[in-house]
Amino acid sequence: MAVAVAAARFHVWTYRAPAIVLGCAQRSLRQDIEPKLEGRACLLERQSGGGAVLSGPWMVGVSVVLPHGHPWLCNGLLESYRWLGQLHVAVLADLGVAVHSLPAHELPRANEQAGRTVDWACFGSLSPWEVVDGQGRKLVGLAQRRQQTGVLVVAGTLTARPDWSLLCRAMGHPQDEPVLRHRTVSCEELAGRPVAPQELASKLKQALGCALGVAYCRARSTAERTSSKRSLPKYMSSPT
Amino acid sequence: MMDITLGAEMWEGVDATTEALVDKWLVQEGDVVRRGQALANVVIVKANQEVVAPADGRIEKILVKTGETFARGKPIARLKEST
Repeated sequence: MAVAVAAARFHVWTYRAPAIVLGCAQRSLRQDIEPKLEGRACLLERQSGGGAVLSGPWMVGVSVVLPHGHPWLCNGLLESYRWLGQLHVAVLADLGVAVHSLPAHELPRANEQAGRTVDWACFGSLSPWEVVDGQGRKLVGLAQRRQQTGVLVVAGTLTARPDWSLLCRAMGHPQDEPVLRHRTVSCEELAGRPVAPQELASKLKQALGCALGVAYCRARSTAERTSSKRSLPKYMSSPT
Repeated sequence: MMDITLGAEMWEGVDATTEALVDKWLVQEGDVVRRGQALANVVIVKANQEVVAPADGRIEKILVKTGETFARGKPIARLKEST
C-alpha cells in the first residue's frame, strides 16, 4: 500500500515451511526469539496488529487490499472484519467444516468459555468476527492495517494442527502450549478428514473473486501460489 | 493548541474497557507537520491504524509514548497550529 489503492485486490497464500509472524507491536521481541528458533522456522513481522502467528503447511492465509470508501469498510473498524469472517464461514461450510463468525457482543462469553487467554499469540484469544466452532475454539484469525492509501485485511485458517510447541518455545512461553491446543481447532478435526491447504485456497480464491468482483492478484512472493478458478461457488447466487 | 486523538469512528462498537496501543511514532516533538501527515501508528482490536495531523503545525508534546496504551478520547499528542 505504498501508493493509493484504486481497486480491491486479494491474494491467497499457502506455506511450504514454518514461519513465526510477529504482530506489528511485537517487533521488539525479535532479538529474544531468533536464538531460540535454531533454524526451525523463519521469523517475520507483519504490518497488522495482534499476536504472533505460526504460519506453515497447516495454514491458508488471505490478504485483501481495499480502497477507502469501499462498501466493506463503511461501518467502522469492527464491521470491517465481518465480511471476511463470514466469507470464511461460507467457504468452510462448503468443505464440511461447521463454524461461525463471532459478533463483538458474544466475545466476552466466548473468551470465557474457552478458558485462559494467551495474549502474545493470535490464536490465544478471540476478537470480533473471528471464526470458531461450536465449542468456541478458534479456526480463523483476523487482523488489519489502515493507512491513508487503503486498508489491508488479513486472515489465517488452520487446516491442520500447527506445531504449537515450536511457537511456544520460541516465544519463551512453553507452558502455554496446552492452552493453545485447547483454544484452537483445525479444518481436519472438524471435517473428519484431511483438508489440503490447496483445496481451501482454491475455494477462497473463487469466493473472494466473486465477492469482490475482481480477478486473483498474482503478487510476487516466496509463498506458494495456486491457480484461480472463476466459476461461481454454489453458496453464492448470480446477480439477476 | 490542538489535541491529536484517534478518531471516534475507530472506537465505534469497541468495548468501553478496551485501550489502544501506540505502536510507533513517525514524528518527534518539535517537528513541523502538514495536515493529513501520518504521525503515529496505533493498534486497536488487532488493527494497525495511522493517526494523522488534523492541521498544519508543530508537534508540541507527545503525551503517550511508544508501547504505552491509551483510552478512548485521550489525546496522544498536542499540536501547535501554524498561524
